[in-house]
Amino acid sequence: MTNSVHDMGGMHGFGPIPREDNEPIFHEEWEGRVLGLMMTTGAHLKSNIDNTRSQSEMLPPATYLSLAYYERWFLRLERVCKQKGLVSERDLAALWAGHDIPETLEAEPIGPDDMRRIFAKGRSYTRQLDASPLFAVGDTVRAKNINPKGHTRLPRYARGKVGVVTAEHGGQIFPDTNATFSGEGPERLYTVRFRATDLWGSDANTKDTVCIDLWEPYLETIRADR
Amino acid sequence: MPHDSHDHTDPPSDLTLRVKALETALTRKGYVDPAAVDAVVDTFETKVGPRNGAAVVAKAWTDPDFKQRLLDDASAACAELGFSGQQGEQLKAVENTDDVHNIVVCTLCSCYPWPVLGLPPSWYKSHAYRSRAVIEPRAVLEEFGVSIPEDKEVRVWDSTAELRYLVLPERPDGTDDLSEDALAELVTRDSMIGTGVAKK
Amino acid sequence: MTNSVHDMGGMHGFGALTHYDNEPVFESDWQRKTFGLMMASLGPFQVNLDNVRSRMESISPTTYLSVGYYDKWFLTLEDLAIEKGLVSREDLAALAAGKDISLTRDVDPIPADGMLAFLATGATAARPIDTPARFAVGDQVRAKTLNPSGHTRLPRYARGKVGTVIADLGGQIYPDSNATFSGEGPERAFTVKFKATELWGSEANAKDTVCIDLWDPYLEPAT
Repeated sequence: MTNSVHDMGGMHGFGPIPREDNEPIFHEEWEGRVLGLMMTTGAHLKSNIDNTRSQSEMLPPATYLSLAYYERWFLRLERVCKQKGLVSERDLAALWAGHDIPETLEAEPIGPDDMRRIFAKGRSYTRQLDASPLFAVGDTVRAKNINPKGHTRLPRYARGKVGVVTAEHGGQIFPDTNATFSGEGPERLYTVRFRATDLWGSDANTKDTVCIDLWEPYLETIRADR
Repeated sequence: MPHDSHDHTDPPSDLTLRVKALETALTRKGYVDPAAVDAVVDTFETKVGPRNGAAVVAKAWTDPDFKQRLLDDASAACAELGFSGQQGEQLKAVENTDDVHNIVVCTLCSCYPWPVLGLPPSWYKSHAYRSRAVIEPRAVLEEFGVSIPEDKEVRVWDSTAELRYLVLPERPDGTDDLSEDALAELVTRDSMIGTGVAKK
Repeated sequence: MTNSVHDMGGMHGFGALTHYDNEPVFESDWQRKTFGLMMASLGPFQVNLDNVRSRMESISPTTYLSVGYYDKWFLTLEDLAIEKGLVSREDLAALAAGKDISLTRDVDPIPADGMLAFLATGATAARPIDTPARFAVGDQVRAKTLNPSGHTRLPRYARGKVGTVIADLGGQIYPDSNATFSGEGPERAFTVKFKATELWGSEANAKDTVCIDLWDPYLEPAT
């Protein structure tokens, strides 16, 4: 969802930043299990990061704001595991009631060594592109005014605003298509620097800037009439 | 019910109790007369509602001079029929035509023309309506069963100031013989917000 | 709060509309009382609508989205009564627990007939204004990019967009100052018509428009 509450840049009302001294990596043991489960089930769930993000954004706004970070992760994981048939509602109900369920071993899990290897290797999102870049470093560009219903990584606060290209990153998986499994559809990625005064108006500090990584389809050549 | 954290005893979760406590306290201290509270409630439960607006619309359909006065100064025109007061001080009537379909929303809160329509229905106050009416009015209208041709303008009025908007719906065909009272029966609340059309 | 979740125009994710036939004006007695109390308290609380709106917008975003419409009214009303020192939280807790406590009568309330007169008369926000209009009907104007942390009635979705003035509304109480009791500071307001394509991009219907009532300080000439 493009314009849902996850797109928070510039919003008011969320109060001071809740800083915590000596914050533990996980506040509850279950949070660590959720992260671990998320990482190890990835291959079986056949999802990708953009789809995962998109699922999170589709939570009802009140729920999205009410839930803690790992609660959102967990609810998403539980839902996707059920959707993809890895577990059934009945299995979960039995386990909630304190019963065990039979071992069926329907798949081959990722072992600890493989998991460490996957982590160490990381994953590249860059892709080869043949098309030549539409923009060069130093070009003035406008972020398009788009409001698609699906997933996008162009924040609302940047739409319609003018900035300067400060870097070009080659081809990168395009979230807007990848999120719906419509293909990686790689597009060229740029870093665009916006003046705070352009984003937020004349009350902003004239020295301040915000740099945003934006894919080529989000950008247009600045029109002469504005 | 979720609420902001306070460093004292949390209030009861039952709003019935909590409202009663506040009314009792304000009454005992003389700030509020419970009979005045009842008068407010009674006004909007039994006296003021969309029937007022329907009478205005029916009169505009049958009396061209009144219609002109309504479009020129809706507050004065509605006052002729005895409809005025809070949230109707600066009424504006917007007319549906062959070229334009009007629809009213308040994206920021719940502004609504009380003297002619009463209090707004839940859907008008809903987050879904407030968020969607300005960006996809046609999809919203479809959910209300109203289809607007692609080449006709949908004009959304976002009530940001203290003006309150009333849609003057199109008079249905084949109603030439109907009396003003009979015409008023065809005017639905939704047709005066713009999410509906007059009954046929 | 300017950019809080109350500024919903154009947001996604709130789902389909629920449309009830024959919906009652109030769903419960506490809603009924909350509405009546709010109307009856505006005078004694010495607040104005802009201030009440501003307070409702300052409810935490999570709460704002989670609770019902009249819940927000009630939370605002209760906080106001406490903040203004009219009642104490302790007294309210005692009353809610069914205890009878003695409270002194501070003032005389508005009686029912006074209340009815208040409803019937209304109170216009229109104010005379001497300064000549900066814009005329037909002018192209741009809504400024403003992000104040206080109350404003310039919706986010219109900021930076260009529209056409279609009506001069004369002087109107200015919400941005009235909300903080910094004075009514009347400013001229205009109805500005924006093309849906200007607001939402080329996917919008080219015929569609959105009209917004905007005060002079929100606008600048479109050049």
